[in-house]
Amino acid sequence: MALTPVLLLACAEKTFNSLLARDPAAPGRLRRLAGKRLLLRLERPSLALLVTFHTQGLGLLHAPQAEEADADAVVEADCEALGSLLAGESLEHLMFSGRLSLRGQTHLLEATRELLMDLDLDWEAALAEWFGDVPAHSLAEGLRRFARFGLRSQHELRTDLAEYVFEEARLLPGQAQREVLRDHLTELEVATDRLEARLARLQRKLDARRREPMT
Amino acid sequence: MTKRTTHFGYQEVPVEEKAARVADVFHSVASRYDLMNDLMSLGIHRLWKRLTLERAGVRRGQSVLDIAGGTGDLTLKFSRLVGPSGRVVLADINASMLNVGRDKLLDHGVGGNVEYVQANAECLPFADNTFDCITIAFGLRNVTDKDAALASMARVLKPGGRLLVLEFSKPTHQLLSKAYDEYSFRLLPRMGELVANDADSYRYLAESIRMHPDQETLKGMMERAGLERVEYTNLTGGIVALHRGIKL
Repeated sequence: MALTPVLLLACAEKTFNSLLARDPAAPGRLRRLAGKRLLLRLERPSLALLVTFHTQGLGLLHAPQAEEADADAVVEADCEALGSLLAGESLEHLMFSGRLSLRGQTHLLEATRELLMDLDLDWEAALAEWFGDVPAHSLAEGLRRFARFGLRSQHELRTDLAEYVFEEARLLPGQAQREVLRDHLTELEVATDRLEARLARLQRKLDARRREPMT
Repeated sequence: MTKRTTHFGYQEVPVEEKAARVADVFHSVASRYDLMNDLMSLGIHRLWKRLTLERAGVRRGQSVLDIAGGTGDLTLKFSRLVGPSGRVVLADINASMLNVGRDKLLDHGVGGNVEYVQANAECLPFADNTFDCITIAFGLRNVTDKDAALASMARVLKPGGRLLVLEFSKPTHQLLSKAYDEYSFRLLPRMGELVANDADSYRYLAESIRMHPDQETLKGMMERAGLERVEYTNLTGGIVALHRGIKL
């Protein structure tokens, strides 16, 4: 059982390094990060992870005894905040909302996010290692065409479906109709509030008259 | 006068011969050592070494001695952890293994903070209280006088420093032990013959594992060498154990 977390970390490290090896922009970014270390303390689940950078990739090490002085930057967050960060949420927003705490060289976290999230993998080179340059190029070109066809088909399907639902079958209101309806509802809400305030004022006047002594 | 003997696998050999015989084994397997390790352990030796690295708790600027470091798996990782202000010494009694390790580390771009020393673990050529951490992975069972080696390691450790011994040990389950015996004495020499063209060396590896002290005995030996808070973790059902002791 002692080896399960070690195995998971080893797999994660291997995956990251394999992906980084396929990104033509990674060596430059790694050169700038080489020698730096980032201590990531997750709250739920409780985990201290030391991320070390070197010119060929990164290293992940479970480091429960690591101290702040061992790292150039220390990040404390929960899994949800880390997920949001990796999904592209602004670092400032996460910090100011209290979901993530960062000490030390703050730019290191931004640089790490850039390194891992801006991966532009050269799949064609990977295929070329297996099949050779010409077959790999043909295969990659075929895959690119297929991907373009898929994207175009998806866009067309969405447009056609929207046209049918909103314009032809009129099953749902369109964007413009929804906005008009929303404006009308807002007007109605304001008018109702006004009416409620008037009624309350009239009620107060009536109550005051009832309490006045008969002359 | 009777000659003092020690075990070399299952054979009894004169004490002064063992180091040379072990050296022959490692000269023979050095070039294919990593490949054979991967094949023999199905790659699990990398996880055992990773755990050793985690338990070592090495920090920036510290000095580390990797004894019997062989092809430099641990040294590579340690050199990145201690950084340019730290120092890692890769020591091995065997020149062939040391050469393979040095070439591999240079290929990985590791140079500045690593030193290479051909040394016998029983009489380490370093001053007292030199290292923050010492590791010996799969090396102690090949040492002729293990007590002398542990005492020598304790001597060169700084107070507060830790010694980690990663070594084959005794499986904790009967069934696993039988399966492991079958694997070690039947399959392992055949694999050695196929991959390294050297069945005898791999038969010696299997025999030397059986002759190595079990978990509790090694713990006692480390305590007698002057280490404290000695503890061990069984890995893969006790096939391997990681012992850690601290010099206080």
